[in-house]
Amino acid sequence: MVCENCKHEIGPDQKFCPKCGAKNVFAEKHEENMQQFAKDYAATEKEVKSFGQAMEGLGKKAAILAALLIGIIVCNILTSMNYADPDEARDAAIRSDAEKNIETYMQQADSLLESGAYMEYVNLLYAHQLSSSMPEEMNRFRQVTYVAREYYECIDEMEQMILRSDDPDYFDGLDTDIETFCMYLDGFYEVYEVQKDSEKDEIYLGYILDMEEDLRAMVRTYLAMDEDGLQEFLNMSEAQKAVKVREVLRHE
Amino acid sequence: MNKTLKIVLNTLIVVASLILLICLFETISSYKYAHREVEDPAETYAGIFDYLLDNHAYGEVLEDYHFQMNQNFEGAPGYENLYRVGEYGHAAFMARVYDEKGDDVRASACRTQMQSVRGELGDYAFTADQIDEMLEKAP
Repeated sequence: MVCENCKHEIGPDQKFCPKCGAKNVFAEKHEENMQQFAKDYAATEKEVKSFGQAMEGLGKKAAILAALLIGIIVCNILTSMNYADPDEARDAAIRSDAEKNIETYMQQADSLLESGAYMEYVNLLYAHQLSSSMPEEMNRFRQVTYVAREYYECIDEMEQMILRSDDPDYFDGLDTDIETFCMYLDGFYEVYEVQKDSEKDEIYLGYILDMEEDLRAMVRTYLAMDEDGLQEFLNMSEAQKAVKVREVLRHE
Repeated sequence: MNKTLKIVLNTLIVVASLILLICLFETISSYKYAHREVEDPAETYAGIFDYLLDNHAYGEVLEDYHFQMNQNFEGAPGYENLYRVGEYGHAAFMARVYDEKGDDVRASACRTQMQSVRGELGDYAFTADQIDEMLEKAP
């Protein structure tokens, strides 16, 4: 830096030229700038400090709120784990087992159908959850399963009616069982008529027809009917069937 | 601005504290529920089974047998007596159906099964006689 008056070299801190004594304008301006800078710095520092103080309190509160929210979430997770249905885990295990052993169960199913153990066939499907959500590999069992489920209900109800308690003081649910049986029998025939026409496989069609023969024989045996009586019975309405069964079983 | 924010935060903290308190109670009661004493269903059923046999309610025994088979085809532990009596009853019931149908093979298979199960009935051998008698009496 040089003096504007005599061009003598001067330092930025020297207010006057040491040679000619002229004012150093740069030094004067520099000092003004430095004073302004100091003022601005102090103002900013004050502002930052006061904001920091204010936010320090809010930060603590926000941290407490976050901790409370985490606590609520953890509590809810623990609660839902405690209330979790244990059957869901069991069902998942059954489904996974069925997927792994589908071939074995299909062989078992075929063997049960072949031996005419239709009740056991339905039990096998239910126990391995293969009935309601039948996998594609089991498509060939579809029609026979629809019929077998109805067959199962008819046999089950007839067993309850025939082997009911003979104790007069024991709960008598015969009337309800009779109505349920008649409903299932009609249900069987509804499904049977549709499925026997849609079943293309001779072997499975044979099982469907065989189930119907079983039911006819069961009704003849346990409701004391001959073939003509059975035919007449099957042509009756559900309510008429119930009256007829009641007559036979209650010896009315 | 800071004042408003503080009020909002304070309110949220109070509300969250109350919710957390309720959640804690719920968690405690759910823990108690998960660790409650559960009676073994097979043990409970043993009493029901004896009651049904006392009343000759074999129809209900067979219904329970089919129900259990639906749940566990291979047989659930603790239900052995139910499975044997149920198996006998169902075979005896179906034997007569196959006789009527003229299916000698299946009727004979049922009788073989009845004979085999009868040998395993032990203290419950009387149930086989009662079932046979009830089926004989059937119309």
